[in-house]
Amino acid sequence: MEKFLTDLETNYKLKSIKQLKNHDNEFYVEVAAAQFNAYCLALHKTFISTVMTMFAEEQKDHFIIYCGFAAEKMAAWIFVVLKVDKNKPEFPSIARQIYAANLFEREMREMFGLEPTGNPDGRRLRLHDEVWPEGNFPLRKDFGKEKDKALGEYRFSKVDGEGIFEVPVGPVHAGIIGPGHFRFSVAGEPIINLEIRLGFTHRGIEKLLEGKTVNEAVKLSEAVSGVSSVAHSWAFCQAAEKICGIKVPRSANYTRAIYLELERMYNHLAAIGGIALDVGFSQPAALAAIIKEALHQLNEKLTGSRFLKGTNVIGGAAKKISSEEEKLIWGTFSSLAKDFAELKEMLSGSVSFLDRVDTTGWLRKKSAEDFGVLGLSGRASGINFDLRQGFMPPYDDLDFKIATATTGDVLARLNLRLEEFAASISIIKKLLNSLSAETILAAKIENRAGFGLGVVEGARGPVLYWVSLNKSGKIERCKIVDPSFRSWQGLSYAVLDNIIPDFPVCNKSFDLSYAGNDL
Amino acid sequence: MEYLFLILKVIIFIGLAPLLSGIITRIKNNLRFRKGPGIWQPYFNLFKLFRKDEVVSEQASWIFRSAPYIVFAATLTALMLVPALTAWPLPIFTGDFLTIIFLLSLGRFFLALAGLDPAATFGGMGSSREMFIASFVEPVVILAIFAVSLTAETTNLAIIAAFKAMHPATVLAAGALLLVTLAETSRIPIDNQETHLELTMIHEALILEYSGRSLGLLELAAYMKQILFFSLISLIVFPGWNDLASFLLKWLALGVIVAVVEISLAKMRLFRAVDWLSFAGILAIMAIMTLILGV
Repeated sequence: MEKFLTDLETNYKLKSIKQLKNHDNEFYVEVAAAQFNAYCLALHKTFISTVMTMFAEEQKDHFIIYCGFAAEKMAAWIFVVLKVDKNKPEFPSIARQIYAANLFEREMREMFGLEPTGNPDGRRLRLHDEVWPEGNFPLRKDFGKEKDKALGEYRFSKVDGEGIFEVPVGPVHAGIIGPGHFRFSVAGEPIINLEIRLGFTHRGIEKLLEGKTVNEAVKLSEAVSGVSSVAHSWAFCQAAEKICGIKVPRSANYTRAIYLELERMYNHLAAIGGIALDVGFSQPAALAAIIKEALHQLNEKLTGSRFLKGTNVIGGAAKKISSEEEKLIWGTFSSLAKDFAELKEMLSGSVSFLDRVDTTGWLRKKSAEDFGVLGLSGRASGINFDLRQGFMPPYDDLDFKIATATTGDVLARLNLRLEEFAASISIIKKLLNSLSAETILAAKIENRAGFGLGVVEGARGPVLYWVSLNKSGKIERCKIVDPSFRSWQGLSYAVLDNIIPDFPVCNKSFDLSYAGNDL
Repeated sequence: MEYLFLILKVIIFIGLAPLLSGIITRIKNNLRFRKGPGIWQPYFNLFKLFRKDEVVSEQASWIFRSAPYIVFAATLTALMLVPALTAWPLPIFTGDFLTIIFLLSLGRFFLALAGLDPAATFGGMGSSREMFIASFVEPVVILAIFAVSLTAETTNLAIIAAFKAMHPATVLAAGALLLVTLAETSRIPIDNQETHLELTMIHEALILEYSGRSLGLLELAAYMKQILFFSLISLIVFPGWNDLASFLLKWLALGVIVAVVEISLAKMRLFRAVDWLSFAGILAIMAIMTLILGV
């Protein structure tokens, strides 16, 4: 038994049934139902980690629930495991102690029919009551024929009082943006409450992945969230490679990191331009669009895809970056440096613009912690968590600083994006300088049964893939966590006390993914 | 003969009003590294809208249907009273500058009702915001023109326009009017014509439920209102230069100013619009003060 687990158990007077160490840095601790809450809470407190992922898996005669925490100091992942009897599909809810688990628990209820006893929120997330009949649990293995049962209705939380109005917006919007329903309760212009209802782009990705081979699954993972195709496919590849025991060459990881940073760059620029556009500041928005387009064209020249699809394959990178392509990257960077400096100057030099973003959309650190908001929006509120520090292989070789802020307003998130954009350029330059001629594909690729976790810090935050493969190398279960899943709740708190016309700029400063949330 | 001139004048105004918007849009786009649509685009839009069917909410009453016509008629009448191009407003004196303001308010009143009428989400928001802005805009317009009428000692615009003396007060008043014009034509920093974000809209939210011919009429009325305000400013700053050529020049100059202001500022927070409009109000009061103190 690992020492830190022994210490934890003596400190908190806990008991576990079984422990398992998997692939160097994954620890699985099986506990009894009565110990589940206490164990999760102990890990949450000890490692100051939010619920990174929580999901269920169906076995022949029981369900298994995993609740994953990140131990930053040890760069390890700890999963609390609970077996649930099929005849009594319920487990103790931990949402009252660790609120960040709430969404995961609601997800398990609708996908597996596992009842989190004590969870305060009984509503569905993605399978909308109006179209999805009761009693159908898509992630169960016996799901197939839809049982014809009654449809229900979603209940929005209601704010009563004199002069309180409800403003429903979406899911169809005027611009070309993803579908989401936003229900504002307003007193005049100030927002009293915002409830975000998502799930309109639910495609059943996790179900689709079941039974696929790993190579098929890489393609599918790229489509989970189109603007994070590198982050998602890399996370999946990482998990699959861990399970199959594939040693990824150093050069392959470098190449992957270059693409990941390129992805981060165009995402950040889209958000920066969007923030400017949403406050009607059109000149910098146009300039941001120009730089973004240059990056997309670079991506296309490098990989044949403007959104960097097809870059990751199991065992390494799909294509080597040739010396001509290297020159192309250097050339693009030097030509966009001037534009980027001008963009920064335009934004930070405009009083009317700063007046709009300063103190707008303030997300307190405490709220961010409660909801488990990580990634860029978390770092803007003072949560200095970044998977690139310790959790991801190629970044250990690099010397770079994570940009942080504390104020948590739109301006903080904007400034972080500007800083991370500049940091990405220098990271790519370092990676290019140390790229060697060695191979980018693992020599031996074979299938093995097992399970493992793949993690990547994408542009929006940590992307997690927990994959379980069976003996024939097909996927048994794959759990995806996109950072947007938890951050949407952060947005609904950040807009409180702001006025309705400021919602779009708050939303854009988070720049969350609908598809990544809806899966 | 005078009637003929008047009709000709109105035709020129209406004919050129969309072009002015097209030119401003073009300048804005060029300033932000874009080509943008051609300057004739507003005409194509109007042509398209006038040929299209309308979709009207089942909840809407006669107010919603008649508002576009009232707005258009009110703006048209106001436009006739502006003594640009011809030295006289109407053959017989029927109203002064206060009439113009009242006519525009009449249109605004019905448009605000029409925003509420179909019981849609954004219309009500638009109505409340439009009236909020209007409550600051109208006093400023009255004060500004009042300052000018003090110099000519009449509220009759025809006489004001013929009064060929520039005065520091008229320049201040024109400045106040220019600031207000940006609000009246729903431009940055008060509103944003180009946005697709319903939650941030003011004027656009009001007319969001309109389509087809009604929308066409409302858009045309908005273009006319813009050229009306531009003409008022021109008349005040450069009185006497009343022929078509100098007016084209003056409209264009104002268009460039508006375009530059629009791209160099971000839209203000809704409640900050008060600051902008109070500044305009202070300019107008200063204009009156200069006159009273005899500077």
